[in-house]
Amino acid sequence: MLTVKERGHFVATTRYLYVTLMETLAAWVPTTPEMEVKLLFGEHIWDVAQHADSLGKRTFELRLPLQHSVRAAEAYVSFLSEMAAIAPTPQRLAAMYDVLLPGLADRQRRYVEQTDRLVDAPTVRIFERYLVDSARMIDSCSALRQELPEVQLADPQWVASRRTREAALEPLATLPPEAVAVGT
Amino acid sequence: MPVTKDTKVVRGVELRNDPAREACFNVVHLHHDVPDSGHATVEARRQRVHRDYNQEVQTLEIAAACLVDFPSAPWELRMELARQCWDEARHAELLYRRLKELGGWKGMYAIANLDWSVVAMLDSLPARLAVQHRTFEAGSLDIETAAVPMLQEMGEHGAAEVVDAIEADEIQHVRFGNEWLRRMTQVEPRAVLDVAAAMAWLKRVVEATGGDDLKDISTSGPVREMAGFSQAEVTQVARLEHQTLRSTGTTPNGPRDE
Repeated sequence: MLTVKERGHFVATTRYLYVTLMETLAAWVPTTPEMEVKLLFGEHIWDVAQHADSLGKRTFELRLPLQHSVRAAEAYVSFLSEMAAIAPTPQRLAAMYDVLLPGLADRQRRYVEQTDRLVDAPTVRIFERYLVDSARMIDSCSALRQELPEVQLADPQWVASRRTREAALEPLATLPPEAVAVGT
Repeated sequence: MPVTKDTKVVRGVELRNDPAREACFNVVHLHHDVPDSGHATVEARRQRVHRDYNQEVQTLEIAAACLVDFPSAPWELRMELARQCWDEARHAELLYRRLKELGGWKGMYAIANLDWSVVAMLDSLPARLAVQHRTFEAGSLDIETAAVPMLQEMGEHGAAEVVDAIEADEIQHVRFGNEWLRRMTQVEPRAVLDVAAAMAWLKRVVEATGGDDLKDISTSGPVREMAGFSQAEVTQVARLEHQTLRSTGTTPNGPRDE
C-alpha cells in the first residue's frame, strides 16, 4: 500500500505537470497562427487548470499545503521545456495530444492500479475523471485534424520517438527521507 | 514579468507586435483601417461579426498571456484567467459560426489587434486587469447591452441571443477583474501607481491611434453594477468617458471600435 507521503508526492508532482501544461498551452495561444487551434488550446487551458486545482485540494488532504506542487525530476522538466519550445503547429498538437496527455494518462492508470482503491478513493476518483477528460481532449484534437488536414503531422516517427522518450522518463523526483529526531 | 518584448511602433507609440495570424488575414494597425459600414446591410453585419471574432480571439490571447507572464499570481486568479480562456474561445467559435451563416469567411476583411498590442505591453498584472478587464471589457458590456435590443429590432433574434450569452460571461470577467484589482491594490499599494501609469499611457495611445468618429454608447449602469462596479464608480466612469470623448474624439472605452 502506498503511504500518505508517497501519495501526496505523486499528487503534488502531477499537479506540477498540469500547471506546466496549462502554461504551455497558454504560451502557444498567441504564437500559433491557426485560429481553430488557438481555440482548442483555449478550451483545454481550462481543463488542465481544473485538473491542477482538484489535485491542489487533494494535497491538503494528504498533509501538504493547499495547492501545493512538487517540481518534477529534472530530466522530465527538461523534456517538458523541450516540448514547450516547439514552434510548428503540427508538432505542437502532436506533442500535447499524442505524447504528453497520453503519457500522463498512462501514469495515472498505473497509479490507480497500484494504490488502495478504498484508502485512496478520493485520488482515484480524481484520476478516473481526468482519464475521461483526457480522452475527450484527444478526441477534440483528432476532430480538428480531420477538419484541418494541414495541421496533421505527416511524420509518425516524430511521435513514436518522443512517446518512447517520455515513457522512459520518471517525473517523480526522489522522495526526501523521513525526518528523524536525533540527539534526544 | 515579461522579458524582452517583440514590439512595433504605430504613430510614434511603441506597442506589442501582433499575435500570430494565418496568412489569409490582412493585419492593419489602426481600427479605422478595419472596414465598418454600420449595421444596416448583410455586408455590414459580416464586417461586424468578423471584427468581433478577431476581438474574442485577442481577448483569449490576452488572458493566456497573463497566465504565462505572471506565474506567481494567486492561484484563484489564475483559475479565473484559465476559465476566461475557455469562455473567449467559445465566443470566438460562436462568432465564426455566425460569420459563416452570413456567407463570410476568415480573412474576408482586414483586422487590427490593438487591444493585444496595448495590454501585452504592460508589465504589471494589476495594470492589465485595469486596462483589459475594467476598461476594455467593461466597455464591451455597455456596447453589448445596447446591441441586444437593436438586433432584436432588426429581426436578428439569433444574433441577439449570441450577444446576450456573451455578455453574461463577460460580466463575470469584469467582476473578477474588479475584485482582484481591489485585493491586489490593498495588499500592494504600489500597484495603484502601476494602474495610474497604465491608464495615463492608454490615454496617450488613444490620442495617437484614435480619430474614429464619436459613437454614442452610454455607460450601462445596471450591468456594470452586476460586474462589481460601485454606483459611484459607474457615475465616475460615465463622467470620465464624456471628458475623454470631448478631448480625443474617439470611442468611449479606449481604442476599441465597435
